[in-house]
Amino acid sequence: MSLFADVVAPAPLVLNGLVVGAILFALGLVGILARRNLIVMFLCAELMLQGISVSLVSWSRHHGDWGGHVLVIFVLTVAACEAAVALVFVLQAFARTGRLDAAAWQALRESNLSRTIDRELPAIDTVPPKFPKLTPAGIEPAADEDALLEREHV
Amino acid sequence: MIASILPSISPGSLLAGGVTATAASLWLLLPRGRSAAADRTARWLGWLVGVVALASFVATGHRLGSVGEEAVFLIVALVAVISGAATVVSRSPVYAAIWFAMALAGVAGVLLVLGGQFLGVATIVVYAGAILVMFLFVLMLAQPAGLAPYDRVSNEPLLAAVAGAVLLGILSLSIGRLTAEPPACCLMGGTKAALLNGSGSAAEPATAAAAGIDMLADNHVARLGGELFGRHLLAVEVAGVLLLVALIGSIAIISRGVADAEPAVARRVAP
Repeated sequence: MSLFADVVAPAPLVLNGLVVGAILFALGLVGILARRNLIVMFLCAELMLQGISVSLVSWSRHHGDWGGHVLVIFVLTVAACEAAVALVFVLQAFARTGRLDAAAWQALRESNLSRTIDRELPAIDTVPPKFPKLTPAGIEPAADEDALLEREHV
Repeated sequence: MIASILPSISPGSLLAGGVTATAASLWLLLPRGRSAAADRTARWLGWLVGVVALASFVATGHRLGSVGEEAVFLIVALVAVISGAATVVSRSPVYAAIWFAMALAGVAGVLLVLGGQFLGVATIVVYAGAILVMFLFVLMLAQPAGLAPYDRVSNEPLLAAVAGAVLLGILSLSIGRLTAEPPACCLMGGTKAALLNGSGSAAEPATAAAAGIDMLADNHVARLGGELFGRHLLAVEVAGVLLLVALIGSIAIISRGVADAEPAVARRVAP
């Protein structure tokens, strides 16, 4: 007699939910592996967590108990903690290197890996985005010299 | 619909095609430092191949019984998956964050359909409302003007896309093994008719009844809260301590680091 003889096959909705969770997890994995921006890598980790949440709720529905739901609540909690601490690290890394680039920390790589060398990238057409503007009205105030020195783009 | 177009393809080959198309699509879509025209072409191609991949995954999905339920699940799942893909391949991190918010909306919809009303709302409130806004704050603080060079290239895009697609294939295979029924695309005529007549969703009430809990009954939040603060009370306390430790830790790191990083501020302007 098989060990799983009394196991009921999951309902179609549960199976579809599991597939959606698997796709989200795989997409997040690709992002973690491929992207170099620290913040985008972090967003991809959150995407993987979302895939896990969908899978957990699917299994919770299959088994008819609250375990998956409770675990997703804890996933949310830990994701909030993780975001707080990791974003502080990202800010520190930016303050030290001036870049949000994972390759800025490649001195930490394994000794048998080759160094990442950035090649010269082809130019992109930099058409500035057009934002709607209010019609100017009244008298233009005197320009603030200090404000002109600040970055206008963040 | 797709099921009637593809009656004779086996689920295995459909899955293999979907996985291959996923890898090709992600490889085309990931930034690789191309010129503007080549980038545009690759993106178009990538989204086209991605639509093929999505179609094959939709075709391997299981029928849910009622058309309305199917349509709702399909829409929210497609929103989640397409926005997730756009998060991964967006050049600008700000757009990636916005797409991630959209993916969260889709995930919340999927959770609602799956019977997690509280979690669907909590995902929107906690993730999109708090965590994502924190990401955007950091982006506003740290993102240099324009598109940085490291946003326009990827680490090993081919290997990453293949790794993700292989993982997806293995996961889909093992999910497909959970049921003996073939997916709706690949059934013979008689079985398909039987499935469409509603026997496809027959397993679900049996499962829920076996466990004695109906997830979709009234007082969902009250019963979830009872479970959370009853059986998992100690874990809730530990989670509270974890939040406090994370708060103190991040304050400690940032206040110490500001003093350390003062000499480096001058270098910050150079990209």
